[in-house]
Amino acid sequence: MENLVIQTEKLSEWVNEVIKKNKVFAPVKETDFSNFKIIDDYSEIDFTYLLPRVPAKKILFKQTETLFLFTPGSKGSVQTKEISDEKLVVFSLRTCDAKTFSILDPVFLGDYADPFYKSRRERSILIGLSCNKPNVNCFCTSFGDSPASSDYVDILLTDLDGKHLVEVVTERGKKFIDNYKKFFTSASKEDLDSKKKVEEQAIKGITRTMKLEGIPEKLDKMFEHPIWYENAMKCIGCGTCTFVCPTCHCFDMQDESTLREGARVRVWDYCMNPEYTHHASGHNPRPARMNRVRNRIFHKFNYYPINDNIVGCTGCGRCIDYCSVNIDVIDIINKIGEAES
Amino acid sequence: MTQEQIEEFEPNIIGFLCNWCSYAGADLAGTSRVQYPPNIKIIKVMCSGRVNPMFVINALQQGADGVLISGCHPGDCHYQSGNYLARRRMGVMRSLLEQMGIEPDRVKMTWVSAAEGRKFAQVIEEVTAEIKKLGPMKQFRREQKW
Amino acid sequence: MVDKELLVKTAKKIVSREDVKYVVGYKQGTYGFVISPSFAYTPEDVDNFIYNPLCKKNLTVYPILEEKLPLRREEEEDKRKIGIVVKGCDSRALVQIIQEKGLTREDLVIIGIPCKGVIDLKKIEKRFPNQTEAVNVVETDNAEYILNISGAVQHIPKEELLSEVCKSCEYPNPTIYDFLIGEKIEVGEVPEYSGLKNLDETPLEDRWAYWEKHFQNCIRCYACREACPLCYCKTCMADMLEPQWIRRSVNLSENTAWNIMRAFHLAGRCISCGECESVCPVNIPLMELNKKLEKDVKEMFKYNAGLDTKEKTLFGTFNTEEPEEFIM
Repeated sequence: MENLVIQTEKLSEWVNEVIKKNKVFAPVKETDFSNFKIIDDYSEIDFTYLLPRVPAKKILFKQTETLFLFTPGSKGSVQTKEISDEKLVVFSLRTCDAKTFSILDPVFLGDYADPFYKSRRERSILIGLSCNKPNVNCFCTSFGDSPASSDYVDILLTDLDGKHLVEVVTERGKKFIDNYKKFFTSASKEDLDSKKKVEEQAIKGITRTMKLEGIPEKLDKMFEHPIWYENAMKCIGCGTCTFVCPTCHCFDMQDESTLREGARVRVWDYCMNPEYTHHASGHNPRPARMNRVRNRIFHKFNYYPINDNIVGCTGCGRCIDYCSVNIDVIDIINKIGEAES
Repeated sequence: MTQEQIEEFEPNIIGFLCNWCSYAGADLAGTSRVQYPPNIKIIKVMCSGRVNPMFVINALQQGADGVLISGCHPGDCHYQSGNYLARRRMGVMRSLLEQMGIEPDRVKMTWVSAAEGRKFAQVIEEVTAEIKKLGPMKQFRREQKW
Repeated sequence: MVDKELLVKTAKKIVSREDVKYVVGYKQGTYGFVISPSFAYTPEDVDNFIYNPLCKKNLTVYPILEEKLPLRREEEEDKRKIGIVVKGCDSRALVQIIQEKGLTREDLVIIGIPCKGVIDLKKIEKRFPNQTEAVNVVETDNAEYILNISGAVQHIPKEELLSEVCKSCEYPNPTIYDFLIGEKIEVGEVPEYSGLKNLDETPLEDRWAYWEKHFQNCIRCYACREACPLCYCKTCMADMLEPQWIRRSVNLSENTAWNIMRAFHLAGRCISCGECESVCPVNIPLMELNKKLEKDVKEMFKYNAGLDTKEKTLFGTFNTEEPEEFIM
């Protein structure tokens, strides 16, 4: 839409200006990793780590969300939870984290729109940042994306050594950037060329590939296949892969109350836990780890493509990084591609 | 905390008393009209060994500044060994709290028999004074705000 | 150096037995330094077994994880044994589980490996990031690791990559086993766990500030619970709804309650394998809690976990003469 340039030393001024009127989320250093947090000053941002540990989904789809409040007892009542109208800005989103929202949209804005997600989605500006040095388990290119893709963000920044290229992608991004005109200058053709170089360099850095061709259809015929047993035997059933996954969105709802007041809250849940499918009758339709591991893969690579025409994986590689027993989704999908159905 | 703040602060103390000795001891303190601080809220349990350490944690989460567990004297437990088991558990719980930086003295134990109404009052006075000094528990209180 | 051939030979012998279902060991993972658990059902499956200082995973979670699904009519329960490769700490986990009657000794065929300490994956990945190719690591006799990273051979002092828990390991030799691979290791004086140093000098406020920061990061994925061989309750207290011991909301209060509960339930049971800490996706130093309790339990009650299958559990026994300075 429009290509601009900001000098890197001006970046902090711009972000601090943005902070004044918006709630800005950016990666902040924790012990030895980073996480998305609300920042009060540009200096809090930490660019050392490529990906924040917990993905950006937690900003729009919070881990703990209050749905409504109530007063318990015979004279009890229900009060709605007010939704704030603060403007949100998510800064330094990588392609894989930005793509999250295009995958979550069919879920939360589909037949029944979730008011909390919807409101946050509408009042947030996504500012992307191109990767220049991918991690070992990055594989966004396998989905036809690029580490410097501007497809899923409103504004994309690319570090060009000394200055940042600012690509304004959407109408919303344009409106937003118009408030801060003074920080930017127009981009030249060289700037765009050097962005291409950065992009090429980054793509070269991605070493692993997932061969996706024909996988959704093939999975249909592979519901009962020894490969699920092989991988499920290793699985210890922890929730790490789902909690660090940018597209896993299952939740549980619970009432929490004292004698006088209470609330219904929605919290992240994980399908690797037997309790997740446990019926009140005691029956469990997914009784074994094999059912659960299979379900996770099927959900992302079969149900999603069939229902919403998009693969439910963004290629961030977090589930591979943090799995303690080396359940490797790239390896599983590639093996499925090779296997006889 | 300043001296003034300590005096003003009224701690909230939860007491888990065993049915056979300590609760009867508390009863005796009442019927003998012995005065003791009203800061303690008593919950009767069948034995001090019934006190799950999570009771203590939940109490601290939900508004208690201190927890007192009281059982029969060693050797006198109605169930033979409940109080010995409780002693072990609470000893370990205290060292865990200490490691996390939560004052271990918020969790106290004592032995009070059915005949020791006066001792019961004395114990409550001591505990209240001690928790007063520690001030309100602020580390991991449940906010009850949604 | 563990004799790989002897390990494979022994595992093959076990897996060919009729009363053995499978053997769990280690194999090379799909990238870099990662090691994967390997399940061998036939002697051919054993060929990919390896053992090197990267094999940190405690495999003793697996016999317990085995689901006992409802049987069809006329179907019989598979009561065959499970073969398992264990290091010193892992074998203590087995002893502890057997002591608590979670498993019986007859359920298992144990291949013991005297262990000189294993590499902390987080440390080595930080030092050599972005390794796609599998890396072979060999330990020398003079406390060095030799790494062959895409042709370039590196010598790294053992101290720099070794897991912190291994530095204070008192039981490198398996306490129970059916087959032992290699010579037993002599144990000298071991230093105290590094996470407990200067503890007495740290004021309470500072300690809480430290833990508060960590507990705030906790995402309650329960990886610490699932990876722990000793967290094997059928229904965890954290999953219970009536009574709900811990609320599902993720906030500082509930996260702290969860972490206190987890650490407390492992008092006198934790065998210091360090799995909880190494699987934690947000790097909470859980071993600092476990180690402190281990130390205090040892001092107060002269109790050591996982040494004798006949011993009684810590909280199931008592001694009339015990420290009670906190009793008024």
